[in-house]
Amino acid sequence: MISMRGLTKDYGDVRAVDDLTFDVEAGKVTGFLGPNGAGKSTTMRMVMGLDRPSAGSATVNGKRYVEIAAPLCEVGALLDAGAMHPGRSGRSHLRIGARSNGIPLSRVDEVIEQVGLGAAARRRVKGYSLGMRQRLGIAAALLGDPQVLLFDEPVNGLDLDGVRWIRALLRGFADEGRTVLVSSHLMSEIQLIADRVVIIGRGRLIADADIDEVLSGLGGRRVRVRTPQDDDLHRALADRAAVVRTTPGELEVTGLGAPEIGDLAQALGLAIHHLADVEQSLEHAYLSLTEDSVDYHGRSAEPMMDGAAR
Amino acid sequence: MSATTVLARSARAEWTRIWSVRSSWILAVVTAVAVVGLGTIIGIDSSDDPSGPPPDASAWDGGQLTGMFALFGILALSVVTSAADHGTGAIVPTLQWTPRRGVLLAARAGVVVATTTLLGVLLVAAASVVIWAFLPHLGLPVGDGAEILGGLALVYACGALLAVGLALVLRSTAGGLVTVIALVLVLPPLMAQLPYEWAVTLSSLMPGSSALFLIFGEGPSDDMTTTSARLTLAAWGVTALLAGGWRLMRTDANR
Repeated sequence: MISMRGLTKDYGDVRAVDDLTFDVEAGKVTGFLGPNGAGKSTTMRMVMGLDRPSAGSATVNGKRYVEIAAPLCEVGALLDAGAMHPGRSGRSHLRIGARSNGIPLSRVDEVIEQVGLGAAARRRVKGYSLGMRQRLGIAAALLGDPQVLLFDEPVNGLDLDGVRWIRALLRGFADEGRTVLVSSHLMSEIQLIADRVVIIGRGRLIADADIDEVLSGLGGRRVRVRTPQDDDLHRALADRAAVVRTTPGELEVTGLGAPEIGDLAQALGLAIHHLADVEQSLEHAYLSLTEDSVDYHGRSAEPMMDGAAR
Repeated sequence: MSATTVLARSARAEWTRIWSVRSSWILAVVTAVAVVGLGTIIGIDSSDDPSGPPPDASAWDGGQLTGMFALFGILALSVVTSAADHGTGAIVPTLQWTPRRGVLLAARAGVVVATTTLLGVLLVAAASVVIWAFLPHLGLPVGDGAEILGGLALVYACGALLAVGLALVLRSTAGGLVTVIALVLVLPPLMAQLPYEWAVTLSSLMPGSSALFLIFGEGPSDDMTTTSARLTLAAWGVTALLAGGWRLMRTDANR
């Protein structure tokens, strides 16, 4: 288990991580989400003893990471795939890790095969693609066959096969009872593999819940309804729920269920062409949870205001 | 698990870390060629010289003249191997694997200093043997060899400590190389040439002057002695390592 208690990190006047308290439980894949600059990587770096917390603590299985004598055998982490000496071969990189933790060198060849690096492991890292570096970083994390795994954006640079492989790998680890914390900016990825999500924004905890709870509650359940009399239905719904016109003839309603909307339309004699719950995506839940916590906004390519002309 | 075991593992990892990149091999080979090559030139030159070396000289004395070349190689190798982790970002996996920074510092400084010092001493010894091969009448007495190589070992160890410390403080290969070259090679003779007493005194307190005095017996000030030069060099090495160790242990990994 990974535990954080009041974890805080200041860089000068900037508070990157602000009083974070949560646990990452064994036997689950925990997704770690947040906008750019939210403090995800800094949090992981503090867990791994790379950065010193300004306040609070982070422990792995009840111990601070720096207190673990052979850390690779308890915790494996992929934090920054580019953080390797480019002039060293992948195999030598792993041999250094093995030697530093008293792991037999035969294990190096095992993890090389496990991540699919094969003969490329004997080449220097400077010739590796991003995907190969990711695989090498994952191999290093697996060297000591640890019970706790942290991955910062593990699917970056991986091809589809690699993405499917990492999904299965993480799922398998959790099913074996290991603790898995994985950050990603790809909501769809997290939705596919995570059992639980921790969402942070501006360094603060926004949500810490099972993924089903986030999907069903925190993001708000929505209903999509299509009708040729959308103005009439919009007026009828406006004082009972939040209504957004997504396209001409289509409304998205938050706060009322499909049966209530259908009954209301029937009572008013309005024709309904489509009425369905919008399948909740983690992306939507995430966006609604973090909309006030994004430091870097891009300009929408196609702003869509309710009823506004394009 | 004992601290000794953790330190031994880290030391083995440091050894692999040094010799698993080409730059270390290139620096070691270039240093070897320069030192043994200079020894060969000294041997050939002296054998052709009718006046020859002083009658009480041994081949070790000739070998000692190559000592400065070995020192440059040691400084470069120490900086490159100690700063590489920071320059490449590899400090992230390094500290994940050895999170006890005191252990990492001890292993890194110990292995780099021991390796480079041994390399320097062996190369000077090899240069001495080459000179002896050209001038067999000089002799290669064991007592002289132990004294000269022991003295050089101290110079090399202190120089390597200085280089490791600077590399850890600056966290940059280029910055480390420039600074160590300035302190050892550039600033001491430059300051000794200035027409001010304080500049000459300052020059005699620089690590390059101490190394020069201990290798060639010459320095910018007549007040220098073997003991004062050794203490000065040791003070530079220890201070630099303390500063580098403080930065490694007290600050974030690669900020």
